[in-house]
Amino acid sequence: MAIDTVKLEALFRKVEEQQAPCIIRAVEVEKVYRMGNEEVRALQGASVDIYKGEYLSIMGPSGSGKTTLFNMIGGLGKPTSGKVYIDQVDIAQLDYNELAWLRCRKVGYIFQTYNLIQVMTCLENVTLPMAFAGMDAEDARDKGIAILQMVGLGDRILHKPGELSGGQQQRCAIARALANSPDIILADEPTANLDTHTGEEIIELLSRLKEELGVTIVSATHDLKMLKRSDRILWIEDGRIVRMAHPSEIDFSVGDFD
Amino acid sequence: MEAIREQVRLPFSVAFEVVMQGIRIRFGRSLVTATGVVLGVAFLMSILSGQVIRQGVSHEAQLRTETKRMFSFLTAEMGPPKDQVIGVLQVGPLNEAEVRLIRTLKERGAKAINWAQLTGQGAAPPEVARLVTGTSVEEVAAEASSLLIMGQGSLPQLDWATLLASSAQATVGATQKQEVAEVAPGVPLVSLARELKPEEIEAQALEQKRSAFRNLWMTIISLVVTFICISNSLLMSVTERFKEIGTMKCLGALSSFVRRLFLIESSLIGLVGAVAGALVGLVFAIIGYGLTFGFPLVLSSLQWGAIAFYFVPCLAAGVGLSVMAALYPASFAARMVPGTALRTNI
Repeated sequence: MAIDTVKLEALFRKVEEQQAPCIIRAVEVEKVYRMGNEEVRALQGASVDIYKGEYLSIMGPSGSGKTTLFNMIGGLGKPTSGKVYIDQVDIAQLDYNELAWLRCRKVGYIFQTYNLIQVMTCLENVTLPMAFAGMDAEDARDKGIAILQMVGLGDRILHKPGELSGGQQQRCAIARALANSPDIILADEPTANLDTHTGEEIIELLSRLKEELGVTIVSATHDLKMLKRSDRILWIEDGRIVRMAHPSEIDFSVGDFD
Repeated sequence: MEAIREQVRLPFSVAFEVVMQGIRIRFGRSLVTATGVVLGVAFLMSILSGQVIRQGVSHEAQLRTETKRMFSFLTAEMGPPKDQVIGVLQVGPLNEAEVRLIRTLKERGAKAINWAQLTGQGAAPPEVARLVTGTSVEEVAAEASSLLIMGQGSLPQLDWATLLASSAQATVGATQKQEVAEVAPGVPLVSLARELKPEEIEAQALEQKRSAFRNLWMTIISLVVTFICISNSLLMSVTERFKEIGTMKCLGALSSFVRRLFLIESSLIGLVGAVAGALVGLVFAIIGYGLTFGFPLVLSSLQWGAIAFYFVPCLAAGVGLSVMAALYPASFAARMVPGTALRTNI
């Protein structure tokens, strides 16, 4: 029997593609908020598959449902209808306790305003999620120091957030997001409050983490530099996903996303 | 894929550590919050202890008037007590005014006070026993300028002639009303007790009713002020930390952990604030009434027992209100979708 090499190659490729499994899957997600008497339909049937190890950017004008989508895929809220699977688990099926477990170990969050706990040192901020995960204090300390060194804050471990620059605070927040070795990092406009140079450093750090640790990064952003570095870009408008593209397909010089 | 499991429940000590660290670092802010509690409780305590002081002062003033009146009635009969011997026959339990009278007589230079008790009346109160010379009923009037019948009780038949035979001056005084009628005829008797007229009793009862109502009213108002003061400062301190609560939830904290944090923190702040507030309130009440009635009178009439008793509701109000005012917003924030709590700007 003759072997069809072309077909065989195709089969191999398919296996290769399957090696990047879907880590977050949103299916027809709808979210309706009540604001007084008015119903706000923040998401109207958004579906997206996010693969393990990819760097996905979410774009959209304000009020487009960007943050809502972000909350849904991060387990910060439950959809009104539709399903969200994180690592193949339907988050609607989880109780508050299991959701806390999921937020603690599976997902790391990075915010535009850093949201570090001001009264704690860098190290304590980083070890707090480990404490929530029940890790031994000394192990947490060692791991915390290692992570802070990895993000370039090795000489700032005992500083308070107030004593750090914006970029350093964001590094600390990234270190905190990495505390329990999550599969997913959700970054909500992480460079919006930083100057161009510092923003670039943060982007650099995130891409490096993606390469070295294989974490999946989902980031809501308007930063062109971040968009260029991402694997895929997702547009959302009026609660619907309108476009999905690779950065190479987009002409950034036009500046219509600026 | 790792199976989803239950989130770890952290022990109390972890929560306590986090709270202590927070208080240490946010010390200034915690102090401001505690000041709200101090003010609230101080107001409550000053009103409550003010009532105690006012009562004590009016009781003391009444006692002093009573003693003074008895003393002047007695000296009108027997002359100044200096270097005189006075006999006292105790027929029943003494009231405060009688004790005061004995003390006054001694202070005014009485040479001796002979003290005798009719059988079955118990010993003289210790503060009296120090001042008097105990003797038998037969000798109680020896060389005495006057014989006083003291205590609430009935007077048995006595041979007054024999009893007063050796006295320097046959004056018999009765400090309470009941005995007067029973003294044998022919014996000169001074009634030192004063009978209140019905309209006076009525006026007193009315005044008592009015002051009870006034006290109740003041207590209610002060409770309201305390409630507003404490809940306001605690509510403020929690709502400005909504973001922190949201962050903790994002990092995997359970709502119960967040609630526990604020329970510990608010009860600590409430306790410290309430103790300080109760002391401050007491000191202010003493100073305030001291300036009005005079410090010696206020300090001598302070009823420490009653004041200590009022410490309890003050501490309870301080801690209870603090915990309620902190736990409500904290559990509200903990129940919120973490994303929403994060975006609240206060």
